[in-house]
Amino acid sequence: MISGWRIWCVMAGAIVVLALGQAHAASAIKIGVAGPFTGDQGAIGEQGKNGAIIAVEEWNAKGGVLGKKIEVVWGDDQHDPKQAVAVANKFLNEGVAGVIGHYNSSCSIPASTIYHDGKVVQISWGSTNPQLTDRGLWNVFRTIGRDDQQGSVAAAFIAKKLKKTKVVVLHDKTTAGQGQADEVVKALDKDKIKPVYYGAITQGEKDYRPVLTAVKQKNPEALYYGGYYPEAILLTKQMRELGMKAVFVSSDGVWQQEYIDIAGKAAEGAFITFTPDQTKIKEAQGVIKKHKEKFGSDVGAYTVYSYVAANMLLDAIAATKSTDGPKLANHIRKTKWKTALGPIQFDKKGDVLVSPFVVWEVRDGKFVEVR
Amino acid sequence: MLVQQLINGLTLGSVYALIALGYTMVYGIIELINFAHGEIYMLGAYMGIISFSFLTTLHLTSPTSGVTFLIMMIVAVLFCGACGVTMERVAYRPLRGASRLSPLISALGVSIFLQNFVMLAQGPRDKGFPHLFSGGGIDFPGGRISAIQIFIMATSVIMMVGLQLLVHGTKIGKAMRATAQDKQMASLVGIDVDRVISVTFLIGSALAAVAGVMVGMYYGLINFFIGYIAGIKAFTAAVLGGIGNIPGAMLGGLLLGLIEALGAGYISSEYKDVFAFAILVVVLIFRPSGLLGKDISGRV
Repeated sequence: MISGWRIWCVMAGAIVVLALGQAHAASAIKIGVAGPFTGDQGAIGEQGKNGAIIAVEEWNAKGGVLGKKIEVVWGDDQHDPKQAVAVANKFLNEGVAGVIGHYNSSCSIPASTIYHDGKVVQISWGSTNPQLTDRGLWNVFRTIGRDDQQGSVAAAFIAKKLKKTKVVVLHDKTTAGQGQADEVVKALDKDKIKPVYYGAITQGEKDYRPVLTAVKQKNPEALYYGGYYPEAILLTKQMRELGMKAVFVSSDGVWQQEYIDIAGKAAEGAFITFTPDQTKIKEAQGVIKKHKEKFGSDVGAYTVYSYVAANMLLDAIAATKSTDGPKLANHIRKTKWKTALGPIQFDKKGDVLVSPFVVWEVRDGKFVEVR
Repeated sequence: MLVQQLINGLTLGSVYALIALGYTMVYGIIELINFAHGEIYMLGAYMGIISFSFLTTLHLTSPTSGVTFLIMMIVAVLFCGACGVTMERVAYRPLRGASRLSPLISALGVSIFLQNFVMLAQGPRDKGFPHLFSGGGIDFPGGRISAIQIFIMATSVIMMVGLQLLVHGTKIGKAMRATAQDKQMASLVGIDVDRVISVTFLIGSALAAVAGVMVGMYYGLINFFIGYIAGIKAFTAAVLGGIGNIPGAMLGGLLLGLIEALGAGYISSEYKDVFAFAILVVVLIFRPSGLLGKDISGRV
């Protein structure tokens, strides 16, 4: 049993630490950045992180915002909705002025309600599910496009360009994955194509052979998968191992170099929908160069989206000279932004007005835009 | 399709069986569910990759030779065996006199520690596992059995037969059976119970290591979290077959793999886990000790 006075010492020490922590916080402006920083989607989380880091460093180099340094509070949600809620509460407790995040729609959506109640602005750097903004919450924005657009691009490609009629649709039961699968089914229906198989797999599992064997029976010409790259890698590999020749089509969560590197030869000929080539946007050259210098690697799929989101938030704080949620949201919605992705404007739901999706092909170990 | 699903199921089941054996043997001997066992399997997979990288980058052996593979297995087995024995010594032996709950919590602690250790040491991302078996296989009218699937099933069978021979044909096996039956009596007749327990952990961990390396090759992808899911499935398999019963773990593992494959293929891929657990519940209702377990309610 610890003796009495020792307990008092520990408690006194804890109180001192807490007090010091609070004192430090008062002199900085905090923003929350959330994403799947650890776990199997860590590669994507890192992109969100790096984009925000570059933006915050640029601002801090110019003296911060409203005369104070900008401090980032990191929120690792590990693409788990329950963690996302914990992260959201943490952000509110820390008094963040706004949130750049999350990535997964399954995380952004539950977190958005908490941010809404806490009157905090949220700009997602990668959530594509329509529901995020369709609910009309005033505090929610996203710099990336929506899955109803992405789904129709994929479906049109399958039906008209590839001219495949026997299509299998799979998803991973997540908000984004299932949403994408359903959008594709809806869009294929317009071309009078009904999937020969519609099913789901579980994230985190390794063996999809039973499902793929069942799917193979239907002799599909194309397989559309709504989900993220860890499962896509396994699906693609196992499809080829089972001798399936169907074309693999998927969405932005699979547009990752990891997909090509780990799936190897099996990934050749896959078609993944994503936004147009960022390296061709002249406004993006600055951040692309900075990223190469600072991290020694090329920007990933979402790095610039996160960079743009962080800049918008910090710009709004500077312009409105406040950290008041509704004021910031108003400013973000009304401004005609000039960003690293080109000109951006938000509609009243918080979606960008123009957000094209195009099809990329995996060719010779690289993503190549399909013309 | 049925034949193909059976092949898928048996391959999956063989892996579950190897891991389940570790759970069942440890439970049989010290009545502890070793929750950290799944992590031993994960460590085996990582040791496989590490030894492969070591060998190939130093050009000691070629990436596709059988010798490379053999060395990978041996390194993984030795490492995991050592981990298992250390784990027992550090986390479970000191708590042997305490209530049943203490070693259980200790096991959870070891599990969390190992997961996070590997995550910090190796990174949170998936790691690609080398391809040692090219796409070879045998095609036949019902489907296709790939080289790696044959290999996994064959290795598992050899391991399980070996285990049975060890447990029923050797002195240490007899000592293990005696200790499992009654620890106190076993020590009274002169069996070194501590040593027997260490050997049990060693063997269980070695089997898990083999499973880890094979699974790494089969899926081509590993991460620090694979032990969690595999551990739950294997534990279910062990309970299904009768926890504490070695043939039971083998049967449970194969059955679980088959149920998952057939359920996913024929009924619904979304509810596949539901079938596996539903069947477990049904089996336990009618045979509470599992399929091959003995009814222990009459023990005096």
